[in-house]
Formats: sequence, C-alpha cells, structure tokens
Amino acid sequence: MAADHRVDCRRASRLLSLACERELDTVEVQALKRHLDACLMCRNFSVQLDFMRKAAKRYSRG
Amino acid sequence: MPGAPTADSRFQEIESHRTYLVRYALSQLRDAQLAEEAVQEALLAALESIGGFDGRSSLRTWLTSILRFKVIDLQRRAIKERANESLDEEHLGDEESWLDDHFDETGHWRMAPQAWSDPEASLDQRRFWEAFERCLSGLSATAGRVFFRREVLGDDTEAICRDEKITASNCWVILHRARISLRSCLEAGWFGKDASHGR
Repeated sequence: MAADHRVDCRRASRLLSLACERELDTVEVQALKRHLDACLMCRNFSVQLDFMRKAAKRYSRG
Repeated sequence: MPGAPTADSRFQEIESHRTYLVRYALSQLRDAQLAEEAVQEALLAALESIGGFDGRSSLRTWLTSILRFKVIDLQRRAIKERANESLDEEHLGDEESWLDDHFDETGHWRMAPQAWSDPEASLDQRRFWEAFERCLSGLSATAGRVFFRREVLGDDTEAICRDEKITASNCWVILHRARISLRSCLEAGWFGKDASHGR
C-alpha cells in the first residue's frame, strides 16, 4: 500500500500510542513495523512507552 | 467479635493510604489545597461509614471510590466557576500544530528519543519518583487527569471519555500528547545525558 511508505516518526508515534488503547489493524501493524525496522528513535520511543506504563503502575501503589 | 479490627487500627489502616489518595486527588484537581480538602472529606466520610465496608473490594479501592465522588463534586464546582471563561489552550483543534513542536516538517523527531540506560533501576530511586511527579504535574490539566486515570489507575478509556465528556478519538489524542510530553520531560530531567540529578 502506498500509504504505508508515508509512515514517518510523527505517525509512528501516534500508532504506538494508539496501540496502548486499541488493537491496530493489519495495515497499521505492517506500516508501523516497517517504520520501526528502519528507525532507532521510534524503537526507543516504543521501549519508553512500555517503561512509562510500568512506572505509572508502580506509582499507583503510592 | 474476636480478632475484629479496633477503631484505632482501622484508622491507621485508612491513614496508610493517604499518600496514594492525595496523589489521586492532586492529579485530578491540580490544586494542592483542593486535593487536601477532598482527601480530608473522603477520609472523614470513610471513618463514618467504615461499617458499610464489606471487604469485597480492597480498602484502597473503597477509599478511592469515596474520594472520587468528592473530587467530582469539587470539579463540578470549579467548572461552574470557570463557566464564563473562554476555551483555553486545551482546545483540541490544534492537535497538528501541537505536534509541530515535537516533529519537524519531514515528520522526524525534533528531540530524538535516546536509549535510556537501565530504566528499571530508576524505579527504586526516590529521586526518580520526584522527577516523575514533576513531569506528571507539568502536563496540561486535561492530559494530567486523563493520563493518571488511564495509566496509573488503569481505568478504561470508555469510562474516562464519559467523565471528561469527550470522544474516544479525542481521548487518544490527549494520551498521545501526554505520552510524548512525559517522555521528553523524563529524558530532559532524568535519563538524558544532560540531566543533572547526581545519580
């Protein structure tokens, strides 16, 4: 799909955040994967998202 | 009844959740005085009705549900007071321009996310939590409320949208913003090369 090639960091970050809220569809997953394979910055962001979720859960213990 | 908790031990048990409750109230109200007020009222109400606590949920869950009512009550009052003010910077129409601060015209990060070194170890450091808290309170009021409920309390997006009177997609936009802001704040204030926190 032509649109896939246009996933830049801006869109990738949106999809990564969205993936915390709902299941991504096949097109979204593929587009995101393609971007992540090529982009270290967004892979870092993805790891950071997981970490922030974990930290927030820990924070809830007060 | 033998082994039943005494009033005093109940009081202490309830008090032990205060820090958590204040965090919750603060995240929702963004006002230390209001948050204290809400927690105080909730704890009093809890002590009065402790007999109605059936132990089916955890004490913290029960306390939070009481606090939630107090918080909503205070929020309603605040909204009424703000009713005459025009829409503030929280208006969602400017999502794209907000993202422009974080991504350049080619869609690349302006502040490239770095690899954070050993983030897990941070979880045991008091100063990390100070940084985390600072970053949370740096979020806009709406983003702070929504992020706290979604990620800290683990509430469903659906319930959050209902309370905030926003659509699911607006909720996602708010969370996207919150996560990007939090990320760059943590990197600048804690994980980054230039962060000076004396680790």
